[in-house]
Amino acid sequence: MSPPDASQPLDGYAEIRLVDPFEIHVGPALAKGEKAARAYALRARDEHCNMRGIVHGGMLMTLADMMLGQALWDATDSAACVTMNMQVQFLKSARAGDVIEVAPRIVRRTRSLVFMAGDFTVGGQTVMTVQSVWKLLGQE
Amino acid sequence: MTPPTALPEGAENISTGGFNRFAGPFYRLADEGEVRRFAFVVLDKHMNAAGSVHGGVLMTFADIAMSRATRLATGAQSVSTVAFSCDFMAAGHLGELIEIRVRIARRTRKFVFLAAEIASGGRSLMQASGVWRMG
Repeated sequence: MSPPDASQPLDGYAEIRLVDPFEIHVGPALAKGEKAARAYALRARDEHCNMRGIVHGGMLMTLADMMLGQALWDATDSAACVTMNMQVQFLKSARAGDVIEVAPRIVRRTRSLVFMAGDFTVGGQTVMTVQSVWKLLGQE
Repeated sequence: MTPPTALPEGAENISTGGFNRFAGPFYRLADEGEVRRFAFVVLDKHMNAAGSVHGGVLMTFADIAMSRATRLATGAQSVSTVAFSCDFMAAGHLGELIEIRVRIARRTRKFVFLAAEIASGGRSLMQASGVWRMG
């Protein structure tokens, strides 16, 4: 199977505005759907890969931080928040040209903490699963 | 303590290609006994909008350092991250020299278990652990 044409738009997805310099550096990122149940995507490029042509673990974890953060912003009207913890399992390789998708979930939310999870997929197959705790700033 | 901003003499640039170079540059420092050390200086591109080092940068730095430590310890040509866990304890800032110290906790025929701490000027920023597979 030939890699998807990077110039083709993805069904239903539109580019989102990124504000963090490092996210702009690795972006663009895409989103589709309603705010409470949005899916996010990124099309992997050569510079996201290691020398073996596989999307770098650090890039996938960067994506995890980006997209869980975006979903948390959706759920909180862009509350100030920071990542406290992240646990990641790498199940399968992703390659340049692959579209990596996730629909992050909020598993539990307290006054100051949000427990999140996400399964990152390529073509419906999970490449990485993530669990992450976030802190809402200014909420002791 | 004022955080250091310059790399020590003899630091070896390990960001020669791919995402490592795109996200870096990251450097290897001299070992301290069994501890493998790596460092980078925070650039504008590493930041988030809140003025801290982006979490993705610290995780990338840890992944690169722990992967390299696995290869150094085993001689394996290629290794892959199976699982990675980290806690963000404090924020890194623009211009700071950030260092990671990596230790091997256990090594089996196929897997290596590692732990690492990231700090800047004696201030702990992150603790990380993970499992790497050889080959």
